[in-house]
Amino acid sequence: MALEKIARKIPASLWNMASEKLIDLVLNSPNASRMPSALAKTILYYWQRDQLATEVGLYRVLEASMILEPEKTISLMEELGLPAIVVMLKETL
Amino acid sequence: MKEVLFVVEFGIEFVPRDLYWKTTFYAIQAEKIGFDYLWITDHFNNRNVYVSLAIASAYTERIKFGPGVTNPYLVHPGVTAQAVATLNEIAPGRVVCGLGAGDKTTLQMLNLEQRKPLRTVRESVKIIREITSGKTLEMQGKIFNVAGAKLNFKITSPIPIFIGAQGPKMLELAAEIGDGVLINASHSKDVENAMTFIGRGIKKAGKELNDLNISAYTSFSVASSYDKALKAVVPVVAYIVAGSPEIVLERHQIRVEVANKIREAIVHRRWKEAFSPVNAEMVEAFSICGTPETCVDKIHRLLKVGVNQIVAGSPIGPNMRKSINMIAAEVFPHFKEIIGEERI
Repeated sequence: MALEKIARKIPASLWNMASEKLIDLVLNSPNASRMPSALAKTILYYWQRDQLATEVGLYRVLEASMILEPEKTISLMEELGLPAIVVMLKETL
Repeated sequence: MKEVLFVVEFGIEFVPRDLYWKTTFYAIQAEKIGFDYLWITDHFNNRNVYVSLAIASAYTERIKFGPGVTNPYLVHPGVTAQAVATLNEIAPGRVVCGLGAGDKTTLQMLNLEQRKPLRTVRESVKIIREITSGKTLEMQGKIFNVAGAKLNFKITSPIPIFIGAQGPKMLELAAEIGDGVLINASHSKDVENAMTFIGRGIKKAGKELNDLNISAYTSFSVASSYDKALKAVVPVVAYIVAGSPEIVLERHQIRVEVANKIREAIVHRRWKEAFSPVNAEMVEAFSICGTPETCVDKIHRLLKVGVNQIVAGSPIGPNMRKSINMIAAEVFPHFKEIIGEERI
């Protein structure tokens, strides 16, 4: 399943927490240089507008974290109690 | 707190060693939490300062920004004028220009000699100011000769020039000809000392103290515990100790031989040897480091000796994003009252 659809399945009540934790993963990743520039600019666009914890913003942060830190992203979804998301993310690898 | 009668502003410095999007992310964050100035350092071996500022300016709307600081040895002041004027087109009225004599170690890597720094900075300020004012400049200087330099585009608002200074003569010059002074200091003793020379420069120019933005350009590290903040600040303090004049070291009872050893170790990239002599006294002298409470206390001391901008310089903290949020939540509220009153 495409990441956009997976992101949509994250409950709205967890958007804030998931977004915060994913942003930390992305910013502190030793693989940060793998970030595609176009995606980085999209994230900056949403960040400037305070939209990283919205459905569309979260999708972009999830996309970035799956590029930079796929395993840690999956572990994070486990921590958030989202087993269905974990399964779907694993399928994208 | 009421004895502080001037506007208090806060700046933040980023070193573009990080990927451009990280620096921009933190710049957006800094604007959101209320920083007034964004300063980006200019060293040839990091990412380019003007490219970094241009992208940061595109994602921000209010924060003032500029090179913090560029130097006329690496970049001709005519080109600096062009760069800040172009930025001013992207973000009118938000651009400032930080200029200094440069960092000797980095300049040496390009075989650039830091010759006649006072004269060079004085002439550079004239060139940048005249060119960014839209004038045609003819100048026969001792360092620069300019024959009819003029921008081919219009600039709509003036660009304040801040001068980075540490030594007595540069501080005096900065106060005399600058719109702002960026004092390389984190301790009230050093700033108090600097104010004497700033006073002389102001007098020489016939200015009032309020005409000048006086900024303490600090090394800043805030974290939930002193140890965490310390770990991040030690390398920065080692560099500062290594580069400090003897008189400054003596003011803080730091032995010159220790500073020399640190410098030697840095030159040879022996990091453990360079960083291990850094002790609590050095950290106290050359940084604002610790919990938010400690940082608030040190900021108050700087404000009392006459500073009206605090620049939180590198490293900011062990985790940039968390430390910026910590400044928002636990440092700024202590100064909000002053900022509120003065801005109205």
